[in-house]
Amino acid sequence: MSKVIVVTSGKGGVGKTTSAAAVSAGLAMRGHKTCVIDFDVGLRNLDMIMGCERRVVFDFINVIQGDAKLKQALIKDKRIDTLSVLPTSQTRDKDALTKEGVKQVLDELREEFDYIVCDSPAGIERGAHLAMYFADEAIVVTNPEVSSVRDSDRVLGLLNSKTHIAERGDGSAIRAHLLLTRFDNRRSASGEMMSVEDVLDILAIPLLGIIPESQTVLKASNVGMPVVMDDKSAAGKAYTEAVGRLLGEQIEIRMDVGERRGLWQRLMGRTA
Amino acid sequence: MQSQQVQQNPAKRVTTLKPFEIRGRFFTAVAVHLTGPADAAFYQALDTQIGQTPQFFDSAPIVLDLQNAAGFGSSEEMGLLVAQMRSRNLLVFGIQHGTDQQMQAARGAGLIPMSGGKDKPLDRQRPPRAQAETPAQKAPEPASRLITEPVRSGQTIFADRGDLVVVGPVSSGAELIASGNIHVYGTLRGRAMAGVNGDHNARIFCHSLDAELLAIAGLYRTSDDLPADMRKKNVQAYLQDDVLRIEAIG
Ligand SMILES: Nc1ncnc2c1ncn2[C@@H]1O[C@H](COP(=O)(O)OP(=O)(O)O)[C@@H](O)[C@H]1O
Ligand SMILES: [Mg+2]
Repeated sequence: MSKVIVVTSGKGGVGKTTSAAAVSAGLAMRGHKTCVIDFDVGLRNLDMIMGCERRVVFDFINVIQGDAKLKQALIKDKRIDTLSVLPTSQTRDKDALTKEGVKQVLDELREEFDYIVCDSPAGIERGAHLAMYFADEAIVVTNPEVSSVRDSDRVLGLLNSKTHIAERGDGSAIRAHLLLTRFDNRRSASGEMMSVEDVLDILAIPLLGIIPESQTVLKASNVGMPVVMDDKSAAGKAYTEAVGRLLGEQIEIRMDVGERRGLWQRLMGRTA
Repeated sequence: MQSQQVQQNPAKRVTTLKPFEIRGRFFTAVAVHLTGPADAAFYQALDTQIGQTPQFFDSAPIVLDLQNAAGFGSSEEMGLLVAQMRSRNLLVFGIQHGTDQQMQAARGAGLIPMSGGKDKPLDRQRPPRAQAETPAQKAPEPASRLITEPVRSGQTIFADRGDLVVVGPVSSGAELIASGNIHVYGTLRGRAMAGVNGDHNARIFCHSLDAELLAIAGLYRTSDDLPADMRKKNVQAYLQDDVLRIEAIG
């Protein structure tokens, strides 16, 4: 059975697109047929991070509006053959997204793919709402700072109320995972940024992984390579492990400094 | 099997399914005591009351009490009064403590003569709408609300008929509102407003206090004036002489 996973956050610039690219590439590298969709209409950049911006002919909006077939718009990754990208439009605005249209595209993708990863725009408006609406699971991307945590908390509330699963009203809920990104041990230990514990205490959802703040992320996105493919970098490793946990593997969460006694158990206990 | 029997024997079905059941029922009504004739001054006072507390009479069944309104009560006056009250959306249905003549007139105006019953001060601004059925029949529907999920920023949880119990954290930017008490088994970082219908006896309890605002019956304190030594403590908040007090428990 296929799964739709939304990568969301509320706040912009926290690493959603980076994470959507890394997670979808990571799932595909393990052999799962995976498609990643850009819901950030008007601010196309998933295709850049995936290194396929020059191959975009038709996009998500064209498909929704019936101007192109889904097959024409999907771009197959040249490095990982189980990975496809559905880019968005640079020229339209988010009003071009309709609930019906999104549902139709997702239903069609579900027939072919194991995982469909939706890269959400920032905010809680239409684009972000439609990106999460049909999701089965959510990866909530959060930076260790107060405003990001609060926005994530808000988004968690919406995931629990304004989504297809929540509206069924039978008590079922979207499985939400926390991905803490741009984490800097030193700044967290000095109190300049929030600690992992503080973030978990507020958001109260299982931790999928901690991605360190790292220069390699920027370099990787500049050359259009999802950072997860760089298995030597700390960020790449962290994403690889996060993908493992997403698939239900028990992988200990690593942190280099600043952890307290008993934190291991706590983190493990919270992992899916 | 069963449906076959029903088809063969339709008369039986009618006798096994009773067309109605009779149950006792207690409920609360608002008694409006008239102290004189229903003149212009009366209607003006009534309109002022409705204007000040629009929810006061909302959906509340009303009984007219004529104990102190001896002079009043021709059939004409009674009919006018009932029409006037109904035109204000006041659900008047009964009459009590009238003279024989008054009761007669009231009956003519479609009111039901009531006997028995006791007056009680309304300690909430709004009469409780929950109506307890006779215990022998069915337990009353719980008026409290239980939330077992974290309450997130931007969410408002409302318990309009009683207590609100939250098992889990309440985020900053979230809002809890209850006509009764509020209990939070977790960290309260958002806003909590208890006794919002005016119940001064309502309290707020939380396992770890880090709230943005606490309010009881409209009296509030913000995070700035919550005592610093109560932060992250297991506390209760209550009103004492119109002061919102916070003290550690446990
Ligand atoms: N772990 C990280 N370390 C350093 N920079 C990062 C990291 N994750 C993301 N970034 C950078 O942050 C910026 C915003 O990331 P992006 O994934 O586009 O966020 P969003 O999609 O949430 O707006 C980009 O410049 C990206 O390279
Ligand atoms: Mg983005």
